[in-house]
Amino acid sequence: MENLDYARLQMAFTLGFHIIFACIGMVMPFFMVVAHHKWLKTRNPVYKRLSMAWLKGVAIFFVTGAVSGTALSFELGMLWPEFMKHAGPIIGMPFSLEGAAFFVEAIALGFYLYGWKKLPEKFHWFTGVIIGISGVASGILVVSANGWMNAPSGFDYINGEFTNIDPVAALLNPAWFTQALHMTLAAFVATSFGVAGIHAFQIFRKRNVELHTKAFKIAIIFGAVAAFLQPISGDLSAKDVAERQPVKLAAMEAHYETEKGAPLYIGGIVDEENRTVTNKIEIPKALSFLAFGDFDAEVKGLNDFPDDELPPVAIVHYAFQIMVGIGTLLMFAGLIYFISLKKKKWLNNKYYWLLFIVVAPLGFVAIEAGWVVTEVGRQPWIIHQIMRTEDAVTPMPGMKYSFFFYLFLYTVLGITVTWLMNRQIKSLNQEPNEDGSNENSSQESYNRERARKNNPINMKNKSKD
Amino acid sequence: MLYIVLFFLLFSLLLYVLLGGADFGAGIVELFSSAKNKEHTRDTIYRVMGPIWEANHIWLIIMLVILWVAFPAYFNIIIIYLHIPLTLVLLGITLRGVAFVFRHYDAVVDKSQFWYNWLFRIGSFVTPVFLGMSFGALIGGKIIITEDYENYGFYDLFMQHWLNIFSLLVGLFYAALCAFLASTLLIGEAEGKARKHYARNSAFFTTVLVVLGFILISFGYFSDIKFAEDFIHNPVSLACVAFSGILLFPLWKFIKKEYRIASRYLAVFQVILVLFAALYAHFPYIIITATEEVSLLANLAPEATISNLAIMLLIGGFIILPGLFHLMRSFNMIKVLEKNEKKYE
Repeated sequence: MENLDYARLQMAFTLGFHIIFACIGMVMPFFMVVAHHKWLKTRNPVYKRLSMAWLKGVAIFFVTGAVSGTALSFELGMLWPEFMKHAGPIIGMPFSLEGAAFFVEAIALGFYLYGWKKLPEKFHWFTGVIIGISGVASGILVVSANGWMNAPSGFDYINGEFTNIDPVAALLNPAWFTQALHMTLAAFVATSFGVAGIHAFQIFRKRNVELHTKAFKIAIIFGAVAAFLQPISGDLSAKDVAERQPVKLAAMEAHYETEKGAPLYIGGIVDEENRTVTNKIEIPKALSFLAFGDFDAEVKGLNDFPDDELPPVAIVHYAFQIMVGIGTLLMFAGLIYFISLKKKKWLNNKYYWLLFIVVAPLGFVAIEAGWVVTEVGRQPWIIHQIMRTEDAVTPMPGMKYSFFFYLFLYTVLGITVTWLMNRQIKSLNQEPNEDGSNENSSQESYNRERARKNNPINMKNKSKD
Repeated sequence: MLYIVLFFLLFSLLLYVLLGGADFGAGIVELFSSAKNKEHTRDTIYRVMGPIWEANHIWLIIMLVILWVAFPAYFNIIIIYLHIPLTLVLLGITLRGVAFVFRHYDAVVDKSQFWYNWLFRIGSFVTPVFLGMSFGALIGGKIIITEDYENYGFYDLFMQHWLNIFSLLVGLFYAALCAFLASTLLIGEAEGKARKHYARNSAFFTTVLVVLGFILISFGYFSDIKFAEDFIHNPVSLACVAFSGILLFPLWKFIKKEYRIASRYLAVFQVILVLFAALYAHFPYIIITATEEVSLLANLAPEATISNLAIMLLIGGFIILPGLFHLMRSFNMIKVLEKNEKKYE
């Protein structure tokens, strides 16, 4: 493999890593403030305990998302210096606004994490809301920058020069809305089903059922609603892609031949060499309708595009199938939740909980698959029809080592965070403190006291004294 | 409009050096404390730095965004030739960042704290060293800018300009600066024995800083590093550094008299002087390569971009700065300790 391939792998991996943490960091604050609000309203200590627990999760995910995001903002330049040199001045606006949103989020997080008992209750709660809103805002802004790569706008490209730059038009590029909507909903679906699944597992194992049921309800309602809205946004996205990036649409659907009244393929094995798709289910005329709202519209096939402008078809097609498949599944899971609101008996059925446990990680798989569709589907362009990825890559050799370095670092980090979450849940299942409260501070001082006793360094220290 | 952007760039740089620096420095103070004091320092850092911890580091991102949006050609050189030290900086930022949060938000406190603590302490020391080394590489005059990547070895193009004694000295100098800032800050946050401990620390790191600064400039001068030569021949830069040195005496007096606010502002002012001195001699030609000096203002982004960015920065600043100030005030970052004087005595 070449330098370019490793640079792309590194970008894919680090972006894929960051997306998960960014999504969780973006959505979890909403769960936290809902629980917090319920506590303020009912003064039921279970809700306080829950918001405290989610707060810790938010802190851990936020920092992991923040550091991996900092790394990414460097990597954009480090891996693709030619891209940043030209794109930076054009898409500076979403990035500078994103910086501001991120800053607001960090300030609000400072207030929220450290403000218990120190700030007026309502203001304190409100800072939690700000965390959520600014998180979503920064997500939307970053996706807008990505939208520009798919739908470059706000400049004239004449003889290889970028002129007449209009940063506002670049920010509001034609792809920003559909992409941002799709991504935001996806973040809500994935995080909500993920969190709900974790609590469903605890209910399934009959641990602290009261708390976990409350947690499950808060999380799943966000997820179920978002999962129902997602197909609408998916349809908007598909129509948008069909219009602006027909080659991406053809790759998503693995359509080689241009045809009117094109069928929708479900599944199928792509043979890129012979340009065929076997073992697929065909739904007649459905693709033409989904893409253009007309059963007889013409869908341009891959064969009608220049060979050197085709993305890797199989990867894009499979990723798209995975995304849509999971999206549909999660929509049904959401439906089952809504039905269970009427049929309370279901809540006693272990298969009900098992379902939510099984689907828990799927939303994240769908998010990753969706990004593969967007990013791989745009290849070989880094800026659609303007700049090729191979022309943007860093001249520095040895990206192979850089890739393995990040692979190792982020794998360790990912495992650590998973392990930390496991510990959070275990501690959540333990009985509250003797005084019945679950104060962060008392928990912490209790923990620290225990650490002091157990810590080998202090032991040594004590024996010296 | 360009001046607004430049102002925000320098302002972010300054705040990153100050706030990010104090944050790194806190870890360095912890690293060089005895086992007993480490624990106390750890808790003090959490109390003092915790609320603004995340915000301290966003200045780096703001700086980065300004560079890539408004000064793309300049940023391009930095990002290509400093790939390796910046990767190491990122490693440091990642490890110390997660370690800081893990050690306070892990649900269970056990032996894993040992790892979080050491990752945080070592990361706090190594990160500013690599940041300083990167800056040292930019001003060291050893970067070889070329289009012809084949004719040079990997070491020549991507290593030698940052992996040398001058850059290392700049790195250590910045780490010492961070530790000076943090220990001066921490003095005002402690009482009794701990206060004495931080005061001792502050004196120690100040000495290290002065000695390192002296070695740095003399080494640079005798190894014919253009930056150091210009620095010595520039009366304004020299005067700033000298003035900053003289201000150490009132600083020590304020610390002794326990004027928390005065000592903080004075320390900040000294750092501003040093930073100004470092930039003044060459501004805006901040990248000194083997053959040429690259101006920050060379090949600027188009006017539309600059004015757009300036407006964004003004709006952002209008929202963020009051918020940040309110945050610092809410958690007593800006408060006079003098009130507690009697209790302490």
